[in-house]
Amino acid sequence: FRMNSPASHLGSGLGGDTPSHHHGLGGPNSILGGGPSSVLNSHLSGGPGSVMGMGLMSNHGPGSVLGPGSILGPSSILGPSSLNMGGSQMMSNSGSGLLHSQQGPSSVQQYSSGAGGASERGPASNLNLNINPGSVMNMGGGPGSVFHDLNPGSVGPSNLAVPMTPLAGDMLDRYHGTQALSHSAIPTHALPSTPASALDIPSPTLQNIVSTVNLGVQLDLKKIALHARNAEYNPKRFAAVIMRIREPRTTALIFSSGKMVCTGAKSEEASRLAARKYARIVQKLGFPAKFTEFKVQNMVGSCDVRFPIQLEGLCITHGQFSTYEPELFPGLIYRMVKPRVVLLIFVSGKVVITGAKFKKEIDDAFSQIYPILKGFKK
Amino acid sequence: LFPMSLSCPDHPYVHLIEDHRAGDVICPECGRVVGDRLVDVGTEWRSFSNERSGTDPSRVGAPENPLMGASDLSTSIAVGFGSSDGDQSLANAQRRSSNNSDRQMSQGMQHIREMSDRIHLTRTIQDRAALLFRQMLDGKTLRGKNIAAQAASCLYVACRQEGVPRTLKEIIAVAGCSPREVNKCVKLIIRSSENSFQLITSEDFMSRFCGNLDLPHQVQRAATHIARVAKERDLVAGRSPISIAAAAIYMASQASGTKKTAKEVGEITGAAEVTVKQTYRLLRPEAVHLFPENFNFDTPVDQLPPS
Repeated sequence: FRMNSPASHLGSGLGGDTPSHHHGLGGPNSILGGGPSSVLNSHLSGGPGSVMGMGLMSNHGPGSVLGPGSILGPSSILGPSSLNMGGSQMMSNSGSGLLHSQQGPSSVQQYSSGAGGASERGPASNLNLNINPGSVMNMGGGPGSVFHDLNPGSVGPSNLAVPMTPLAGDMLDRYHGTQALSHSAIPTHALPSTPASALDIPSPTLQNIVSTVNLGVQLDLKKIALHARNAEYNPKRFAAVIMRIREPRTTALIFSSGKMVCTGAKSEEASRLAARKYARIVQKLGFPAKFTEFKVQNMVGSCDVRFPIQLEGLCITHGQFSTYEPELFPGLIYRMVKPRVVLLIFVSGKVVITGAKFKKEIDDAFSQIYPILKGFKK
Repeated sequence: LFPMSLSCPDHPYVHLIEDHRAGDVICPECGRVVGDRLVDVGTEWRSFSNERSGTDPSRVGAPENPLMGASDLSTSIAVGFGSSDGDQSLANAQRRSSNNSDRQMSQGMQHIREMSDRIHLTRTIQDRAALLFRQMLDGKTLRGKNIAAQAASCLYVACRQEGVPRTLKEIIAVAGCSPREVNKCVKLIIRSSENSFQLITSEDFMSRFCGNLDLPHQVQRAATHIARVAKERDLVAGRSPISIAAAAIYMASQASGTKKTAKEVGEITGAAEVTVKQTYRLLRPEAVHLFPENFNFDTPVDQLPPS
């Protein structure tokens, strides 16, 4: 169970580039004290902003000291994309979170959760001030992206998608110099972020992610239920331990085979982070838990088109996809073929999209259904 | 050109009529029997109901039912009043070894017949439901669901298809299984069938509901009108057509001489009393526009109850 696995937190470089971390952070060691210092620090670099925010960043360059307020400033203008910020926040936590959850009040994790903004990444948060909402989403690595193979070496404006804190020091200076850069100079290629706000088309927000992970070892559910907090186990009713954590607010079903289902997260990264936390809890209970085969199984998104819809008309024209039985269910069930998702469309204009494995599918589905719904506006 | 190469000598080009009962081929023009001793395809015996004979000499059974066991022409042991233990055990043995789908089919048929009798559905609907049941059985769509639920859902869909829909609540009332199961089966049937079903409207139920409530025809007409206009004016967005029908009936009956309480209307229609009242509240503001022109108001519109 490697904390440093690249996929676990934003900017794999963060995890990998311990030396550069120290560079940029000017000795996080000193800040956080010992312990598994190198491991800690590498994670911290995943969240230099969070450390900053905690007020421990006195030894950081001026540019990087952005208090929570200033960081949140630009973030607050991100309407629908704020979710991504939440996601990106989660991402930075993913590296730091698990360890830090053991830390105590001074844990980086807490701060980040409080800020809820692009607080973690030093240079990145700098950039946020300059970058338009669309590219800020890049900071999160874009919706739906998982930070798998980001190599630390690739720093530079072209990699703004990656929160490249590793070369924090260099980047700080560089970006300071280029503060005056207009956003156009900063490529926003990583995210195909349509100027959704400009077109006034709402975009779906993720409500629930269901994911599965294999801890790879047989578990004794009784022991887990006995020793873990927030765990319930009723073998007569259901053959799994139901465990809950508060941050990210999720529920996990842990089976004796070692397989686990994690539900309730609001973004893929949050789901991954939560799964890691559960794995950590199981690990702390004495089982040699690993973190393998993490897979998002289902994503649920919802949206509001803000006008009432004629369901009968929609049912008649799109008869082969729609099922509308007011006696059975008040909404129309639209089974889209490509992407293969199910949409629940209600008279009020609210749309629920489910069955997707990637956020892109949800966005695609919504962009396909929106013109159709407009045609059936009441 | 000539049936059976026969022709009447006097009328060679006339089409001859075959009389199977008598076994003759007759010329319609002159009545001459041209051919005779044709094989008779009528019944061997005709058994009359008031005949108190011990056994029925007829050696053939009922016509072949394409739905049930059409494939095999197997014989089944008949067990009557005078049957001995041997006959019973033979029949049991046969029942045990019978084909599963046939057994399920006959069970389903039994359920369908029972349910239809309770709510007086015509033979047409029953047959259509049986056909649907057979299709579901062959296609294994309703695999594993309660047989009664399967039968009930087939009946519901059959009523829909025949154009005389019954509310799900009505079907569930006679089904004898949990509403959830029936709902699931209905959803599966709708999903699996390619042709989309006609959406239910309030009008479909008006005559039945008003009849059950003993409301005069004028009230029924008014309720139909109310429901239609309410739909057009979009006063009741998102409400089930049953609830709209119930509220319209409530409003019409309250305006007429035969007043029905929301509770009674709810009981007959299957909608909850609060649903009837809620939907009525949506209709009440526009009551003036909803009634038809020549409606005989026993209680004028402004004196209609507010909820």
